Amino acid sequence: MAREKDYGNPSLEAKLKDRYYYSDDTNRDFTKEVEKIGRTIAHMCYQCGTCTGSCPSAPRSSYRIRLFMRRAVLGLEEEALTDPDLWLCTTCYSCTDRCPRDIAPTDVIMAMRNLAARRDIVPRNFLKTVQAIYTTGHGVPNNDVNRAARVKLGMDAEPPTTCGFPEYIEGIKAIIDHYGLKDRADKILSEGE
Amino acid sequence: MHEYAFFLGCIAPNRYPGCEASAIKTSEKVGIKLLPLCGASCCPAPGAFGSIDLNIWYAMAARNVVLAEQMDRDIALICNGCYKSIYEVNHILKHNDELRDGVNEVLKEIDMEYKGSIDVWHLAELYYDPKICGVDKIRESVSRPLTGTKIAVHYGCHLMKPRKERHFGDTDHPMWIEELVAALGAEPVQYRNKMQCCGAGGGVRGFDLEHSLDITNEKMINLQEVGADALTEVCPFCQLQYDRGQVEIEEKFGIKYGLPVLHFNELLGLAQGMSPDELALDLHAVDVTPFLEKIL
Repeated sequence: MAREKDYGNPSLEAKLKDRYYYSDDTNRDFTKEVEKIGRTIAHMCYQCGTCTGSCPSAPRSSYRIRLFMRRAVLGLEEEALTDPDLWLCTTCYSCTDRCPRDIAPTDVIMAMRNLAARRDIVPRNFLKTVQAIYTTGHGVPNNDVNRAARVKLGMDAEPPTTCGFPEYIEGIKAIIDHYGLKDRADKILSEGE
Repeated sequence: MHEYAFFLGCIAPNRYPGCEASAIKTSEKVGIKLLPLCGASCCPAPGAFGSIDLNIWYAMAARNVVLAEQMDRDIALICNGCYKSIYEVNHILKHNDELRDGVNEVLKEIDMEYKGSIDVWHLAELYYDPKICGVDKIRESVSRPLTGTKIAVHYGCHLMKPRKERHFGDTDHPMWIEELVAALGAEPVQYRNKMQCCGAGGGVRGFDLEHSLDITNEKMINLQEVGADALTEVCPFCQLQYDRGQVEIEEKFGIKYGLPVLHFNELLGLAQGMSPDELALDLHAVDVTPFLEKIL
């Protein structure tokens, strides 16, 4: 966000170039994009901290939802999307229920994760879930111990989901392929090996 | 008989089949018939999948909803994570034309169309709803009351939160599942920070297991404090986090709790006279025997 005015005072201008006073790596569009994807009015945040106070992840890590809200408001895209703490939100929605500004900080986090993922910044376990769903239709697929237990219960070894009706997996593949997500997941995961 | 398309999800049918079996059997005794929703997939996992691309999450969840629309039945399900995906996406698409058009464009490729013609319910809320079942009917269905047991309730997050997009009201001190537990003859107990997350959601269990277990451990400390005989929940993913999580907590932090964890359906099954074998309770990582000894 470039400043359009100046003070006509060289020493003050120099001071304002200092990141402590002024940061020029903000992106106004980032705020708008977060608000669109997250379907929430992030810019209304007044930094009260109720969100961090409600957060189960905050007491045991450096993750601060209030900090991410500030980054959303200021358009600090790089800072927000490269911080690994982004992935410590359990999406419990306690902050959302308590926000006095009616914002959904949880959905701000989800939007930032979506934007990070577009740049291939995404933890491996998330992509492995995509691969599992692509192959079996399930994030947690069936296994032999479970099949035996199901039969003992008088049920079919395969539940009547995509497990029992694998012909439905084609539709799931078509949806994921529409977005090219499987190929991206494969590519990112193979790079990390 | 109220009929519903039974959306299974992943963890219930593929890790705790007793949750699925008990849902089908217990609901029939109170006038609810659960029909198989053939070809349903993962909801898909709201944390793991939605974090990558919400648009794909909408489309994948909508596909599951369409399967039920084709049956012309509302969906009933037994997992909070599934509720988040299926209920919420159904709700969003009903009210957001832009997103619905986007989803339908994708679904067209597989000859499907989202219409918005059905509703989505958690089986626990149907049990509580007097128009469908109600606490009294649950009480009448009990043949083996769980008398003398103290049971704590974990509500989980995605059933009732965010409050504005749900219809459950109070999310700070809800008591409706306690009412259901009391109807089984057990004594529901309150504990500190009851509404705190189990720690598994949002992909955190896969991303940072120790962090996620540390949240679970805090809940375990609070549960131990009040001497509960068992913990009950309405979400197989929370169940996995508490049940297998206790084994992982012992491995990583060296603390042993041994608190049996049972889905409300399994608890209801026991109270209606189902045997532990009919519920595959041997698949639970934490031995359920101490609890069973109190009621059998």
